[in-house]
Amino acid sequence: MIEVRELTKRFGRTVAVDGLTFHVKPGRVTGFLGPNGAGKSTTLRMILGLDRPASGEALVGGRRYDRLRHPMREVGVLLDAGAVQGGRTPLGHLSWMARAGGVGRDRVVTVIEQVGLAGVARKRIRGFSLGMRQRLGIAAALLGDPGVLLLDEPVNGLDPDGVRWIRELLREFAAEGHTVLLSSHLMSEMELTADHLVVIGRGRLITDASMRELTAVRDVFVRSSRAADLATALSAAGGTVAAEDGGGLSVRGLDPAEIGDLAARQAIPLHEVTPRGASLEETYLRLTAREADR
Amino acid sequence: MIDALAAEWLKLRTLRSTSVVLAVVAVVVALMALLAWWSANLWDGLSPGDRDHLVVSPLPDVTHMLASLCLAVLGVLAFSGEQGTGMIRTTFTVLPSRGRVLAAKAGVVAAVAACTGLTAVLATYAAGRLLIGDRPIRGQSAEVLSRQLPHFLAMSLSITMFALLGLCLAVITRSAVAAIATLVAVWYVLPIVGYNLPAPWGDRVGSILPGALADQLAGTGNPDAVTVALLPPLAALAVMAAYVAVPYGVAAVLLARRDP
Repeated sequence: MIEVRELTKRFGRTVAVDGLTFHVKPGRVTGFLGPNGAGKSTTLRMILGLDRPASGEALVGGRRYDRLRHPMREVGVLLDAGAVQGGRTPLGHLSWMARAGGVGRDRVVTVIEQVGLAGVARKRIRGFSLGMRQRLGIAAALLGDPGVLLLDEPVNGLDPDGVRWIRELLREFAAEGHTVLLSSHLMSEMELTADHLVVIGRGRLITDASMRELTAVRDVFVRSSRAADLATALSAAGGTVAAEDGGGLSVRGLDPAEIGDLAARQAIPLHEVTPRGASLEETYLRLTAREADR
Repeated sequence: MIDALAAEWLKLRTLRSTSVVLAVVAVVVALMALLAWWSANLWDGLSPGDRDHLVVSPLPDVTHMLASLCLAVLGVLAFSGEQGTGMIRTTFTVLPSRGRVLAAKAGVVAAVAACTGLTAVLATYAAGRLLIGDRPIRGQSAEVLSRQLPHFLAMSLSITMFALLGLCLAVITRSAVAAIATLVAVWYVLPIVGYNLPAPWGDRVGSILPGALADQLAGTGNPDAVTVALLPPLAALAVMAAYVAVPYGVAAVLLARRDP
Protein backbone atom coordinates (compact mmCIF):
# COMPACT_ATOMS: atom_id res chain seq x y z
CA MET A 1 0.00 0.00 0.00
CA ILE A 2 1.36 3.37 -1.04
CA GLU A 3 -0.39 6.56 0.05
CA VAL A 4 0.43 9.85 -1.60
CA ARG A 5 -1.13 12.83 0.15
CA GLU A 6 -1.17 16.40 -1.14
CA LEU A 7 2.34 15.99 -2.47
CA THR A 8 3.85 19.16 -3.93
CA LYS A 9 7.28 19.77 -5.39
CA ARG A 10 8.74 22.97 -6.83
CA PHE A 11 11.89 23.46 -8.82
CA GLY A 12 12.51 27.18 -8.57
CA ARG A 13 9.30 28.73 -9.87
CA THR A 14 8.12 25.65 -11.71
CA VAL A 15 5.61 23.51 -9.88
CA ALA A 16 6.53 19.97 -10.88
CA VAL A 17 4.00 18.18 -8.69
CA ASP A 18 0.96 20.03 -7.45
CA GLY A 19 -1.10 18.73 -4.52
CA LEU A 20 -1.08 15.16 -5.80
CA THR A 21 -3.12 12.60 -3.87
CA PHE A 22 -3.65 8.94 -4.77
CA HIS A 23 -3.45 5.48 -3.24
CA VAL A 24 -1.81 2.40 -4.68
CA LYS A 25 -3.66 -0.63 -3.34
CA PRO A 26 -2.32 -4.17 -3.04
CA GLY A 27 -3.56 -7.02 -5.19
CA ARG A 28 -3.52 -5.16 -8.46
CA VAL A 29 -1.13 -3.55 -10.89
CA THR A 30 -1.47 0.21 -10.79
CA GLY A 31 -0.25 2.06 -13.85
CA PHE A 32 1.16 5.54 -13.50
CA LEU A 33 0.67 7.51 -16.68
CA GLY A 34 1.35 11.02 -17.85
CA PRO A 35 3.03 12.94 -20.65
CA ASN A 36 6.75 13.65 -20.43
CA GLY A 37 7.43 16.20 -17.74
CA ALA A 38 4.13 15.53 -15.99
CA GLY A 39 5.97 14.81 -12.74
CA LYS A 40 5.90 10.98 -12.70
CA SER A 41 9.56 10.46 -11.91
CA THR A 42 9.59 13.31 -9.40
CA THR A 43 6.62 11.72 -7.64
CA LEU A 44 8.34 8.34 -7.54
CA ARG A 45 11.51 9.96 -6.17
CA MET A 46 9.48 11.70 -3.46
CA ILE A 47 7.82 8.41 -2.47
CA LEU A 48 11.34 7.02 -2.03
CA GLY A 49 12.55 9.94 0.07
CA LEU A 50 15.05 10.99 -2.59
CA ASP A 51 13.45 14.31 -3.44
CA ARG A 52 12.16 16.39 -0.60
CA PRO A 53 8.56 17.55 -1.14
CA ALA A 54 7.67 21.21 -0.60
CA SER A 55 4.59 19.95 1.23
CA GLY A 56 2.54 16.80 1.66
CA GLU A 57 3.82 13.32 2.31
CA ALA A 58 4.08 9.85 0.87
CA LEU A 59 3.75 6.71 2.97
CA VAL A 60 4.69 3.15 2.15
CA GLY A 61 2.93 0.62 4.34
CA GLY A 62 1.92 3.46 6.65
CA ARG A 63 5.43 4.82 7.15
CA ARG A 64 7.69 7.28 5.43
CA TYR A 65 10.15 5.45 3.19
CA ASP A 66 13.21 6.77 5.00
CA ARG A 67 11.82 5.42 8.26
CA LEU A 68 11.66 1.85 6.98
CA ARG A 69 14.09 -0.40 8.77
CA HIS A 70 15.02 -2.56 5.77
CA PRO A 71 13.60 -0.64 2.81
CA MET A 72 14.93 -3.07 0.24
CA ARG A 73 13.03 -5.97 1.82
CA GLU A 74 9.80 -3.98 1.66
CA VAL A 75 10.03 -2.01 -1.58
CA GLY A 76 11.68 -3.13 -4.81
CA VAL A 77 12.72 -0.15 -6.89
CA LEU A 78 13.70 0.40 -10.51
CA LEU A 79 14.12 4.07 -11.35
CA ASP A 80 16.68 4.17 -14.15
CA ALA A 81 18.26 1.03 -15.50
CA GLY A 82 21.12 3.13 -16.88
CA ALA A 83 22.11 4.32 -13.42
CA VAL A 84 24.76 1.66 -12.84
CA GLN A 85 28.53 1.89 -12.98
CA GLY A 86 29.70 0.16 -16.14
CA GLY A 87 32.88 -1.21 -14.65
CA ARG A 88 31.00 -3.59 -12.37
CA THR A 89 29.52 -6.97 -13.15
CA PRO A 90 25.90 -7.86 -12.35
CA LEU A 91 27.27 -10.05 -9.57
CA GLY A 92 29.28 -7.16 -8.13
CA HIS A 93 26.43 -4.70 -8.44
CA LEU A 94 23.86 -6.95 -6.80
CA SER A 95 26.33 -8.05 -4.14
CA TRP A 96 26.86 -4.57 -2.72
CA MET A 97 23.12 -3.98 -2.85
CA ALA A 98 22.43 -7.23 -1.00
CA ARG A 99 25.02 -6.34 1.64
CA ALA A 100 23.63 -2.81 2.07
CA GLY A 101 20.04 -4.01 2.19
CA GLY A 102 20.59 -6.80 4.67
CA VAL A 103 19.74 -9.54 2.17
CA GLY A 104 21.48 -12.91 1.96
CA ARG A 105 23.95 -13.63 -0.85
CA ASP A 106 21.85 -16.56 -2.05
CA ARG A 107 19.22 -14.07 -3.24
CA VAL A 108 21.80 -12.56 -5.61
CA VAL A 109 22.17 -15.85 -7.45
CA THR A 110 18.42 -16.45 -7.37
CA VAL A 111 17.46 -13.14 -8.96
CA ILE A 112 20.26 -13.31 -11.55
CA GLU A 113 18.81 -16.62 -12.69
CA GLN A 114 15.26 -15.34 -12.45
CA VAL A 115 15.91 -12.47 -14.88
CA GLY A 116 17.99 -14.61 -17.22
CA LEU A 117 21.39 -12.97 -16.72
CA ALA A 118 23.18 -16.06 -15.37
CA GLY A 119 25.31 -16.31 -18.51
CA VAL A 120 26.68 -12.77 -18.14
CA ALA A 121 26.80 -12.54 -14.34
CA ARG A 122 30.57 -11.97 -14.42
CA LYS A 123 30.70 -9.71 -17.48
CA ARG A 124 31.10 -5.96 -17.18
CA ILE A 125 27.82 -4.04 -17.39
CA ARG A 126 29.44 -1.54 -19.77
CA GLY A 127 28.85 -3.86 -22.73
CA PHE A 128 25.19 -4.55 -21.94
CA SER A 129 22.26 -3.60 -24.16
CA LEU A 130 19.44 -1.50 -22.74
CA GLY A 131 17.33 -4.66 -22.44
CA MET A 132 20.01 -6.43 -20.38
CA ARG A 133 20.37 -3.39 -18.14
CA GLN A 134 16.60 -3.39 -17.70
CA ARG A 135 16.76 -7.04 -16.61
CA LEU A 136 19.53 -6.19 -14.17
CA GLY A 137 17.41 -3.34 -12.79
CA ILE A 138 14.50 -5.72 -12.33
CA ALA A 139 16.80 -8.21 -10.61
CA ALA A 140 17.83 -5.40 -8.24
CA ALA A 141 14.17 -4.58 -7.57
CA LEU A 142 13.39 -8.23 -6.76
CA LEU A 143 16.54 -8.73 -4.69
CA GLY A 144 14.98 -8.03 -1.29
CA ASP A 145 11.92 -10.19 -2.03
CA PRO A 146 9.73 -7.13 -1.35
CA GLY A 147 5.96 -6.80 -1.00
CA VAL A 148 5.85 -3.59 -3.03
CA LEU A 149 7.31 -2.94 -6.47
CA LEU A 150 7.86 0.54 -7.81
CA LEU A 151 9.08 0.55 -11.39
CA ASP A 152 9.74 3.48 -13.70
CA GLU A 153 9.45 2.48 -17.37
CA PRO A 154 10.54 -1.14 -16.83
CA VAL A 155 9.78 -2.38 -20.36
CA ASN A 156 11.90 0.21 -22.14
CA GLY A 157 14.34 -1.56 -24.40
CA LEU A 158 13.03 -5.05 -23.69
CA ASP A 159 12.38 -7.39 -26.60
CA PRO A 160 8.84 -8.82 -27.03
CA ASP A 161 9.74 -11.89 -24.97
CA GLY A 162 11.06 -9.66 -22.23
CA VAL A 163 7.96 -7.47 -22.30
CA ARG A 164 5.76 -10.52 -21.98
CA TRP A 165 7.93 -11.91 -19.20
CA ILE A 166 7.74 -8.75 -17.12
CA ARG A 167 3.99 -8.46 -17.72
CA GLU A 168 3.43 -11.96 -16.37
CA LEU A 169 5.84 -11.37 -13.51
CA LEU A 170 3.98 -8.24 -12.42
CA ARG A 171 0.54 -9.81 -12.78
CA GLU A 172 1.59 -12.82 -10.70
CA PHE A 173 3.19 -10.55 -8.14
CA ALA A 174 0.00 -8.52 -7.78
CA ALA A 175 -2.15 -11.67 -7.71
CA GLU A 176 -0.21 -12.76 -4.62
CA GLY A 177 -1.62 -9.71 -2.87
CA HIS A 178 1.42 -7.49 -3.41
CA THR A 179 1.44 -3.87 -4.50
CA VAL A 180 2.74 -2.72 -7.90
CA LEU A 181 3.16 0.83 -9.14
CA LEU A 182 4.34 0.91 -12.71
CA SER A 183 5.01 3.98 -14.79
CA SER A 184 5.11 3.74 -18.53
CA HIS A 185 4.36 5.80 -21.58
CA LEU A 186 3.58 2.68 -23.62
CA MET A 187 -0.19 2.77 -23.65
CA SER A 188 -0.73 -0.60 -25.31
CA GLU A 189 1.54 -2.26 -22.76
CA MET A 190 -0.23 -0.53 -19.90
CA GLU A 191 -3.59 -1.71 -21.25
CA LEU A 192 -2.40 -5.30 -21.05
CA THR A 193 -0.65 -5.08 -17.69
CA ALA A 194 -2.41 -2.61 -15.43
CA ASP A 195 -5.72 -3.08 -13.58
CA HIS A 196 -5.89 0.44 -12.32
CA LEU A 197 -4.58 3.73 -13.62
CA VAL A 198 -3.39 6.94 -12.06
CA VAL A 199 -3.03 9.58 -14.77
CA ILE A 200 -1.30 12.88 -14.07
CA GLY A 201 -0.59 15.94 -16.20
CA ARG A 202 1.41 19.01 -15.23
CA GLY A 203 1.84 17.61 -11.76
CA ARG A 204 -1.88 17.29 -11.10
CA LEU A 205 -4.10 14.26 -10.85
CA ILE A 206 -6.21 13.84 -13.98
CA THR A 207 -7.84 10.56 -13.19
CA ASP A 208 -7.59 7.69 -10.73
CA ALA A 209 -9.78 4.93 -12.12
CA SER A 210 -9.89 1.26 -13.02
CA MET A 211 -8.89 0.17 -16.49
CA ARG A 212 -12.45 -1.11 -17.05
CA GLU A 213 -13.95 2.31 -16.41
CA LEU A 214 -11.45 3.98 -18.69
CA THR A 215 -11.99 1.65 -21.60
CA ALA A 216 -15.79 1.29 -21.19
CA VAL A 217 -18.13 1.18 -24.24
CA ARG A 218 -18.18 4.64 -25.72
CA ASP A 219 -20.52 4.55 -28.70
CA VAL A 220 -22.11 2.28 -31.28
CA PHE A 221 -21.02 2.49 -34.89
CA VAL A 222 -23.87 1.95 -37.39
CA ARG A 223 -23.94 1.66 -41.16
CA SER A 224 -27.08 1.78 -43.22
CA SER A 225 -28.08 2.39 -46.83
CA ARG A 226 -30.60 4.92 -45.46
CA ALA A 227 -28.29 6.68 -43.04
CA ALA A 228 -30.21 9.96 -43.01
CA ASP A 229 -33.53 8.28 -42.11
CA LEU A 230 -31.80 6.21 -39.46
CA ALA A 231 -30.15 9.29 -37.95
CA THR A 232 -33.52 11.04 -37.68
CA ALA A 233 -35.13 8.00 -36.07
CA LEU A 234 -32.29 7.50 -33.60
CA SER A 235 -32.28 11.16 -32.62
CA ALA A 236 -36.02 11.04 -32.06
CA ALA A 237 -35.50 8.02 -29.76
CA GLY A 238 -33.07 10.00 -27.63
CA GLY A 239 -29.74 9.07 -29.14
CA THR A 240 -26.92 11.44 -29.98
CA VAL A 241 -25.94 10.84 -33.57
CA ALA A 242 -22.90 12.09 -35.43
CA ALA A 243 -21.92 11.30 -39.00
CA GLU A 244 -18.43 9.88 -39.38
CA ASP A 245 -15.98 10.86 -42.07
CA GLY A 246 -15.81 7.45 -43.72
CA GLY A 247 -19.61 7.11 -43.82
CA GLY A 248 -21.65 5.55 -41.05
CA LEU A 249 -22.92 6.99 -37.81
CA SER A 250 -21.59 7.21 -34.30
CA VAL A 251 -24.45 6.75 -31.86
CA ARG A 252 -24.34 7.47 -28.16
CA GLY A 253 -27.06 6.98 -25.59
CA LEU A 254 -28.59 3.87 -27.21
CA ASP A 255 -27.38 0.32 -27.01
CA PRO A 256 -27.12 -2.03 -30.03
CA ALA A 257 -30.40 -3.81 -29.17
CA GLU A 258 -32.35 -0.58 -29.04
CA ILE A 259 -30.84 0.56 -32.34
CA GLY A 260 -31.64 -2.77 -34.01
CA ASP A 261 -35.26 -2.83 -32.77
CA LEU A 262 -35.81 0.76 -33.84
CA ALA A 263 -34.45 0.12 -37.31
CA ALA A 264 -36.59 -3.01 -37.70
CA ARG A 265 -39.77 -1.14 -36.73
CA GLN A 266 -39.12 1.46 -39.42
CA ALA A 267 -37.82 -1.13 -41.92
CA ILE A 268 -34.46 0.59 -42.26
CA PRO A 269 -31.78 -1.89 -43.34
CA LEU A 270 -28.69 -2.10 -41.13
CA HIS A 271 -25.32 -3.09 -42.61
CA GLU A 272 -23.27 -2.89 -39.44
CA VAL A 273 -23.82 -2.41 -35.71
CA THR A 274 -20.59 -2.33 -33.68
CA PRO A 275 -20.31 -1.29 -30.04
CA ARG A 276 -17.00 0.52 -29.67
CA GLY A 277 -14.91 0.80 -26.47
CA ALA A 278 -12.41 3.56 -26.18
CA SER A 279 -8.85 2.32 -26.41
CA LEU A 280 -6.77 3.40 -23.48
CA GLU A 281 -4.75 5.51 -25.84
CA GLU A 282 -7.79 7.50 -26.97
CA THR A 283 -8.99 7.98 -23.42
CA TYR A 284 -5.55 9.00 -22.34
CA LEU A 285 -5.10 11.51 -25.15
CA ARG A 286 -8.53 12.95 -24.50
CA LEU A 287 -7.80 13.31 -20.78
CA THR A 288 -4.36 14.80 -21.17
CA ALA A 289 -5.44 17.13 -23.99
CA ARG A 290 -8.12 18.57 -21.75
CA GLU A 291 -5.50 19.14 -19.08
CA ALA A 292 -3.15 20.82 -21.55
CA ASP A 293 -5.91 23.27 -22.56
CA ARG A 294 -6.38 24.52 -19.06
CA MET B 1 26.46 0.65 9.99
CA ILE B 2 28.32 -2.64 9.46
CA ASP B 3 26.10 -3.32 6.42
CA ALA B 4 26.83 0.14 5.04
CA LEU B 5 30.59 -0.26 5.56
CA ALA B 6 30.61 -3.71 3.98
CA ALA B 7 28.59 -2.42 1.01
CA GLU B 8 30.91 0.55 0.47
CA TRP B 9 33.92 -1.73 0.70
CA LEU B 10 32.40 -4.00 -1.96
CA LYS B 11 31.69 -0.99 -4.16
CA LEU B 12 35.19 0.44 -3.85
CA ARG B 13 36.75 -2.95 -4.45
CA THR B 14 34.74 -3.62 -7.59
CA LEU B 15 35.41 -0.16 -9.03
CA ARG B 16 37.91 -0.22 -11.84
CA SER B 17 39.33 3.19 -10.96
CA THR B 18 40.41 1.87 -7.56
CA SER B 19 42.83 -0.61 -9.09
CA VAL B 20 44.06 2.08 -11.51
CA VAL B 21 44.84 4.49 -8.66
CA LEU B 22 46.56 1.78 -6.64
CA ALA B 23 48.59 0.78 -9.71
CA VAL B 24 49.70 4.41 -10.10
CA VAL B 25 50.84 4.43 -6.47
CA ALA B 26 52.81 1.24 -7.16
CA VAL B 27 54.40 2.93 -10.19
CA VAL B 28 55.38 5.90 -7.98
CA VAL B 29 57.13 3.52 -5.57
CA ALA B 30 58.87 1.79 -8.49
CA LEU B 31 60.06 5.17 -9.79
CA MET B 32 61.44 5.98 -6.37
CA ALA B 33 63.33 2.68 -6.39
CA LEU B 34 64.68 3.56 -9.84
CA LEU B 35 65.77 6.96 -8.53
CA ALA B 36 67.50 5.28 -5.59
CA TRP B 37 69.31 2.90 -7.92
CA TRP B 38 70.32 5.73 -10.23
CA SER B 39 71.58 7.89 -7.32
CA ALA B 40 73.65 5.02 -5.95
CA ASN B 41 75.22 4.42 -9.36
CA LEU B 42 75.86 8.12 -9.83
CA TRP B 43 77.39 8.37 -6.37
CA ASP B 44 79.75 5.49 -7.05
CA GLY B 45 81.03 7.16 -10.22
CA LEU B 46 81.63 10.59 -8.68
CA SER B 47 84.88 11.91 -7.23
CA PRO B 48 84.79 12.60 -3.46
CA GLY B 49 84.61 16.36 -4.14
CA ASP B 50 81.62 16.05 -6.47
CA ARG B 51 79.81 13.73 -4.07
CA ASP B 52 79.19 16.71 -1.76
CA HIS B 53 77.21 18.41 -4.50
CA LEU B 54 74.87 15.46 -5.07
CA VAL B 55 71.52 16.10 -3.40
CA VAL B 56 68.59 13.73 -3.80
CA SER B 57 65.16 14.55 -2.34
CA PRO B 58 64.13 12.26 0.53
CA LEU B 59 62.39 9.47 -1.34
CA PRO B 60 59.61 8.67 1.17
CA ASP B 61 58.68 12.37 1.15
CA VAL B 62 58.28 12.34 -2.62
CA THR B 63 56.15 9.21 -2.40
CA HIS B 64 54.10 10.87 0.31
CA MET B 65 53.46 13.90 -1.89
CA LEU B 66 52.49 11.92 -4.99
CA ALA B 67 50.47 9.31 -3.10
CA SER B 68 48.53 12.14 -1.43
CA LEU B 69 47.24 13.26 -4.79
CA CYS B 70 46.57 9.69 -5.99
CA LEU B 71 44.48 8.81 -2.95
CA ALA B 72 42.73 12.15 -3.02
CA VAL B 73 41.62 11.20 -6.53
CA LEU B 74 40.49 7.82 -5.18
CA GLY B 75 38.43 9.69 -2.59
CA VAL B 76 36.86 11.83 -5.33
CA LEU B 77 36.02 8.82 -7.50
CA ALA B 78 34.48 6.96 -4.57
CA PHE B 79 31.62 9.45 -4.77
CA SER B 80 31.66 11.14 -8.17
CA GLY B 81 31.23 7.87 -10.05
CA GLU B 82 27.93 7.26 -8.28
CA GLN B 83 26.82 10.85 -8.63
CA GLY B 84 27.64 10.89 -12.34
CA THR B 85 25.79 7.70 -13.24
CA GLY B 86 22.85 8.36 -10.92
CA MET B 87 23.61 5.18 -8.98
CA ILE B 88 23.68 7.36 -5.86
CA ARG B 89 19.86 7.21 -5.96
CA THR B 90 20.02 3.41 -5.76
CA THR B 91 22.39 3.75 -2.82
CA PHE B 92 20.00 6.08 -1.04
CA THR B 93 16.95 3.91 -1.69
CA VAL B 94 18.77 0.95 -0.15
CA LEU B 95 20.27 3.03 2.66
CA PRO B 96 18.04 6.08 3.21
CA SER B 97 20.28 7.50 5.95
CA ARG B 98 22.60 9.71 3.94
CA GLY B 99 24.74 10.51 6.96
CA ARG B 100 25.39 6.81 7.37
CA VAL B 101 26.30 6.42 3.69
CA LEU B 102 28.79 9.29 3.92
CA ALA B 103 30.27 7.92 7.14
CA ALA B 104 30.65 4.46 5.57
CA LYS B 105 32.29 5.90 2.47
CA ALA B 106 34.64 7.99 4.61
CA GLY B 107 35.51 4.97 6.74
CA VAL B 108 36.34 2.78 3.76
CA VAL B 109 38.26 5.50 1.90
CA ALA B 110 40.23 6.35 5.06
CA ALA B 111 41.14 2.73 5.69
CA VAL B 112 42.29 2.17 2.11
CA ALA B 113 44.25 5.44 2.09
CA ALA B 114 45.95 4.79 5.43
CA CYS B 115 47.00 1.27 4.47
CA THR B 116 48.08 2.18 0.95
CA GLY B 117 49.89 5.30 2.12
CA LEU B 118 51.83 3.53 4.85
CA THR B 119 52.68 0.61 2.56
CA ALA B 120 53.90 2.93 -0.19
CA VAL B 121 56.05 5.03 2.12
CA LEU B 122 57.54 1.97 3.84
CA ALA B 123 58.21 0.28 0.50
CA THR B 124 59.95 3.42 -0.74
CA TYR B 125 62.05 3.54 2.42
CA ALA B 126 62.95 -0.14 2.09
CA ALA B 127 63.90 0.27 -1.57
CA GLY B 128 66.06 3.28 -0.70
CA ARG B 129 67.88 1.47 2.09
CA LEU B 130 68.40 -1.57 -0.06
CA LEU B 131 69.73 0.26 -3.12
CA ILE B 132 71.53 3.24 -1.55
CA GLY B 133 72.82 1.29 1.43
CA ASP B 134 75.09 3.37 3.64
CA ARG B 135 76.22 5.84 0.98
CA PRO B 136 75.89 9.23 2.72
CA ILE B 137 74.02 10.96 -0.12
CA ARG B 138 72.66 14.34 0.96
CA GLY B 139 68.92 14.32 1.50
CA GLN B 140 68.86 10.59 2.24
CA SER B 141 68.38 9.68 5.85
CA ALA B 142 70.38 6.71 7.10
CA GLU B 143 68.37 6.43 10.28
CA VAL B 144 66.92 3.11 11.34
CA LEU B 145 63.26 2.39 10.74
CA SER B 146 62.23 2.70 14.38
CA ARG B 147 63.44 6.31 14.43
CA GLN B 148 61.66 7.12 11.16
CA LEU B 149 58.43 5.30 11.81
CA PRO B 150 56.65 8.26 13.48
CA HIS B 151 57.38 10.35 10.39
CA PHE B 152 56.05 7.60 8.12
CA LEU B 153 52.91 7.26 10.23
CA ALA B 154 52.42 11.03 10.00
CA MET B 155 52.74 10.76 6.20
CA SER B 156 50.16 7.97 6.15
CA LEU B 157 47.84 10.14 8.21
CA SER B 158 48.40 13.04 5.83
CA ILE B 159 47.60 10.83 2.82
CA THR B 160 44.39 9.76 4.60
CA MET B 161 43.52 13.42 5.15
CA PHE B 162 43.94 14.10 1.44
CA ALA B 163 41.75 11.12 0.54
CA LEU B 164 38.95 12.30 2.82
CA LEU B 165 39.33 15.83 1.53
CA GLY B 166 38.88 14.41 -1.98
CA LEU B 167 35.74 12.51 -0.96
CA CYS B 168 34.20 15.57 0.72
CA LEU B 169 35.06 17.86 -2.20
CA ALA B 170 33.37 15.41 -4.57
CA VAL B 171 30.22 15.46 -2.44
CA ILE B 172 30.27 19.25 -2.16
CA THR B 173 30.99 20.04 -5.82
CA ARG B 174 29.14 17.00 -7.28
CA SER B 175 31.75 17.01 -10.00
CA ALA B 176 34.94 15.00 -10.36
CA VAL B 177 36.55 17.74 -12.44
CA ALA B 178 35.81 20.52 -9.94
CA ALA B 179 36.90 18.37 -7.00
CA ILE B 180 40.18 17.31 -8.60
CA ALA B 181 40.91 20.87 -9.77
CA THR B 182 40.39 22.11 -6.20
CA LEU B 183 42.66 19.38 -4.88
CA VAL B 184 45.44 20.19 -7.31
CA ALA B 185 45.15 23.83 -6.32
CA VAL B 186 45.50 22.94 -2.63
CA TRP B 187 48.22 20.39 -3.28
CA TYR B 188 50.39 22.24 -5.78
CA VAL B 189 49.33 25.81 -6.53
CA LEU B 190 48.78 27.13 -2.99
CA PRO B 191 52.25 26.07 -1.76
CA ILE B 192 53.78 28.06 -4.62
CA VAL B 193 51.61 31.05 -3.79
CA GLY B 194 52.54 30.71 -0.11
CA TYR B 195 56.24 30.48 -0.96
CA ASN B 196 56.06 33.77 -2.84
CA LEU B 197 54.26 35.73 -0.15
CA PRO B 198 56.39 38.28 1.72
CA ALA B 199 57.80 37.24 5.10
CA PRO B 200 56.50 36.33 7.56
CA TRP B 201 53.30 35.46 5.70
CA GLY B 202 54.93 32.98 3.38
CA ASP B 203 55.91 30.77 6.30
CA ARG B 204 52.68 31.31 8.17
CA VAL B 205 50.53 30.33 5.23
CA GLY B 206 52.93 27.63 4.12
CA SER B 207 52.89 25.91 7.48
CA ILE B 208 49.13 25.39 7.51
CA LEU B 209 48.82 24.01 3.97
CA PRO B 210 47.82 20.34 3.96
CA GLY B 211 51.00 19.11 2.28
CA ALA B 212 53.20 20.61 4.99
CA LEU B 213 51.47 19.03 7.96
CA ALA B 214 53.03 15.55 8.00
CA ASP B 215 56.54 16.87 8.66
CA GLN B 216 55.32 19.20 11.38
CA LEU B 217 53.27 16.46 12.99
CA ALA B 218 56.33 14.21 13.15
CA GLY B 219 58.45 17.13 14.34
CA THR B 220 60.93 16.70 11.52
CA GLY B 221 61.46 19.95 9.67
CA ASN B 222 62.36 19.14 6.11
CA PRO B 223 65.23 21.41 5.05
CA ASP B 224 64.49 21.01 1.36
CA ALA B 225 60.76 21.54 1.55
CA VAL B 226 59.09 24.59 0.07
CA THR B 227 57.39 25.17 3.39
CA VAL B 228 58.87 25.56 6.81
CA ALA B 229 57.90 24.09 10.16
CA LEU B 230 56.19 26.59 12.43
CA LEU B 231 53.58 24.40 14.09
CA PRO B 232 54.21 22.10 17.05
CA PRO B 233 53.02 18.51 16.42
CA LEU B 234 49.71 18.88 18.25
CA ALA B 235 48.83 22.05 16.35
CA ALA B 236 49.68 20.29 13.09
CA LEU B 237 47.38 17.44 14.12
CA ALA B 238 44.61 19.92 14.89
CA VAL B 239 44.98 21.61 11.49
CA MET B 240 44.93 18.18 9.84
CA ALA B 241 41.73 17.28 11.69
CA ALA B 242 40.19 20.59 10.59
CA TYR B 243 41.00 19.84 6.94
CA VAL B 244 38.81 16.75 7.31
CA ALA B 245 36.17 17.90 9.79
CA VAL B 246 35.14 21.15 8.10
CA PRO B 247 34.66 19.77 4.57
CA TYR B 248 33.02 16.67 6.06
CA GLY B 249 30.52 18.80 7.94
CA VAL B 250 29.70 20.82 4.83
CA ALA B 251 29.41 17.64 2.76
CA ALA B 252 27.09 16.00 5.30
CA VAL B 253 24.77 19.01 5.41
CA LEU B 254 24.65 19.37 1.61
CA LEU B 255 24.09 15.65 1.12
CA ALA B 256 21.14 15.73 3.51
CA ARG B 257 19.61 18.86 1.97
CA ARG B 258 20.04 18.43 -1.75
CA ASP B 259 17.94 16.10 -3.87
CA PRO B 260 20.33 13.53 -5.33
